[in-house]
Amino acid sequence: MIEVRHVKKTYGKKQNKFVALDDVNFTIPDGASVAILGKSGSGKSTLMHAMSGLDRPEEGEVVIDGENILKLKAKAVDKFRATKMSFIFQSFFVQANETCYDNVSLPLEIARVPKRERRAKVQKALDAVELSDKIKSKARNLSGGQKQRLAIARAIVNEPTILFADEPTGNLDSTTGEVIENLLFDYNKKNGTTLIIVTHDPDLAKKCDMQLFIKDGKIASQVNEQKKPKVTKIPVSSRRAQ
Amino acid sequence: MRRRDIVRRAGRSLRQAKARTLLTSLAIAVGAFTLTISIAAGEGSRQYADKLIGSNINPQALFIVKDKSVFEGSQTSTGVTEYDEDTITGHAAMGQQNVKQLTQADIDTLTKRSDLEAVQPIYNISMKYFQVQGVDKKYVAELSTYNDGVRSDTVAGSLPPLEKQINDTEVVVPESFGKTLGMSAADMVGKKITIVLERAASAPTNQQIQEILMTEGTAGLSKLTTGETKTVTYTISAVTKQASTSLTAQTEMLVANSQAKQLYDFMKSGTNTYQQYTGVTARAKSDFKPEDVKASLEKAGFGARTAKDLQNLLFTIVNILQGIVTGFGVLALFASVFGIINTQYISVLERTQQIGLMKALGMRSKDVAKLFRYEAAWIGFLGGAIGAGIAWGLGTWLNPWIMEQLSLGDGNYLLIFQPIPIALLIVALMIVAVVAGYFPARKAAKLDPIEALRTE
Ligand SMILES: Nc1ncnc2c1ncn2[C@@H]1O[C@H](COP(=O)(O)OP(=O)(O)O)[C@@H](O)[C@H]1O
Ligand SMILES: [Mg+2]
Repeated sequence: MIEVRHVKKTYGKKQNKFVALDDVNFTIPDGASVAILGKSGSGKSTLMHAMSGLDRPEEGEVVIDGENILKLKAKAVDKFRATKMSFIFQSFFVQANETCYDNVSLPLEIARVPKRERRAKVQKALDAVELSDKIKSKARNLSGGQKQRLAIARAIVNEPTILFADEPTGNLDSTTGEVIENLLFDYNKKNGTTLIIVTHDPDLAKKCDMQLFIKDGKIASQVNEQKKPKVTKIPVSSRRAQ
Repeated sequence: MRRRDIVRRAGRSLRQAKARTLLTSLAIAVGAFTLTISIAAGEGSRQYADKLIGSNINPQALFIVKDKSVFEGSQTSTGVTEYDEDTITGHAAMGQQNVKQLTQADIDTLTKRSDLEAVQPIYNISMKYFQVQGVDKKYVAELSTYNDGVRSDTVAGSLPPLEKQINDTEVVVPESFGKTLGMSAADMVGKKITIVLERAASAPTNQQIQEILMTEGTAGLSKLTTGETKTVTYTISAVTKQASTSLTAQTEMLVANSQAKQLYDFMKSGTNTYQQYTGVTARAKSDFKPEDVKASLEKAGFGARTAKDLQNLLFTIVNILQGIVTGFGVLALFASVFGIINTQYISVLERTQQIGLMKALGMRSKDVAKLFRYEAAWIGFLGGAIGAGIAWGLGTWLNPWIMEQLSLGDGNYLLIFQPIPIALLIVALMIVAVVAGYFPARKAAKLDPIEALRTE
């Protein structure tokens, strides 16, 4: 379970002060798929960074499995990310001049998985994204869709409990994008991994259990698909006075 | 991240930027080359000096003087010294300073010591002239005692082994004589040398005059007051080498100890400098360490030099030369440090995204720093290995030629490459590279992953 409580993030100082996240509150149950929706610049990525401990908002808590990760020491947060979380980015960020094997092996190395256990895990992850035949190919020789599949393999290789995807289909055409979406949802369903997708694609969002709409750094609305589609407007009174 | 994985990833990053890695390490290679040559030359010279001394100087040999300033040179000389009746103005070989002489009493003290043997004064004899068989002209040279504790290299003829004197009929001359005489070294060997000595008239005391008048009459008196000459003939048995690499360059002709003593007695007996010697040679007895004997002699008021001191003197020269070459190497290294810093900064900038991703995936900042430090270490290793390798190859190839140019003698190589010092050098270069890579590595470690992964 991920609980986000009163998270506030501001950029800049004094006159240039900009509130990117303003008293954000929500709870994500384990194994849910969540879409974070909003216009460009609304604060989706900032929220994702806060939830993953990459960023440290100045106020609020992010409680994952009962632990407030914003209070943890850097070392513990790194370990958290290395063992429990994973990321997929819009621009893939695969290492073009490394082989697929080395790309996927990176999170395992970071998590200090012994070498003899890595091979099987990498193989399994590449199998899951149907890239096993490319294991020795350099990532630069892959197409855009294949690169993102490689990124997914890298994200799932260490069997994370939370998978963050920041506009994973943003750089892909719709058919390729669909392949990626299916991979992510399949993985979410099969492994009970919490999937958090940042997107501005409403069709993709509809496939998620839960949709969070962000506007100007605030949760504008939350939709839980599994129950009867019901839009809960967050009452103004519950927001903290700014 | 495990160290092994970091090292592996560091190596891989470098392979992916081959040209840059190679060029950066070449800068280090220049320094490594110079330092390797310097180390090899130092080792070679030391081994050469060791060999020379080991085979040509008895390790137990000691050179003993009364006046330590003989060893210290003119730095300590103030120009003014206290008058002492045992002090005479030293001859040219000792410089124009007043040198306190060893007296017969000193010689007796030394001879009686239980830790010394073969105590022999060095007799320095001034001749009137000498003539070499087959040469009409007359020449003048210094005449001294053959020292059996040191064996010089010869260009012609041969010398007895250490601790053996030459024969009483023999004389040893330096190579340089040949030039003046117009003879080759080989020609000189076997030639006879006739030496004429002239003793100055002594100033007899009244008592001596009376005694001589009583016993020998006026003839005796005139003999006493006019000079007296003595002619001796020796055969040249060896010509010693004068090369710059020769350990004991000699300018005097040398005769056997007993001969030198006879000639000395003839020249000096009855004079006020009789039985006064600048130095003596001796040997520490085999169950005494020469250093200990030296210390004990110094306590007793003598100055002494061991074979090792002579060796150290040579090493000082070697060390100075080596220091100069090393200086150039260090300068080259210093320049290469900026190359490493530059390369690593560029590398950090180029790989901003990679660093951001690794940190997002939970890599520790200190591991990121390590990654870049290991890359720097690899560059240092590569540069060191290239430089040392080229130096080794080139040095080994050129050694015979250098040996010939410096006439070191067969098997004496100037450049001696040893694996351990070279390995240490490479390790040192790796450390230098890591130190140079410190700031770029820190920059990488401090990179904010969010900034790094931002795509506009
Ligand atoms: N480092 C920063 N400094 C100042 N403003 C920032 C910084 N990072 C993000 N912002 C601002 O915060 C807002 C939210 O950004 P972001 O979370 O990236 O939006 P998006 O919803 O497009 O992912 C934007 O207006 C952006 O300009
Ligand atoms: Mg964004």
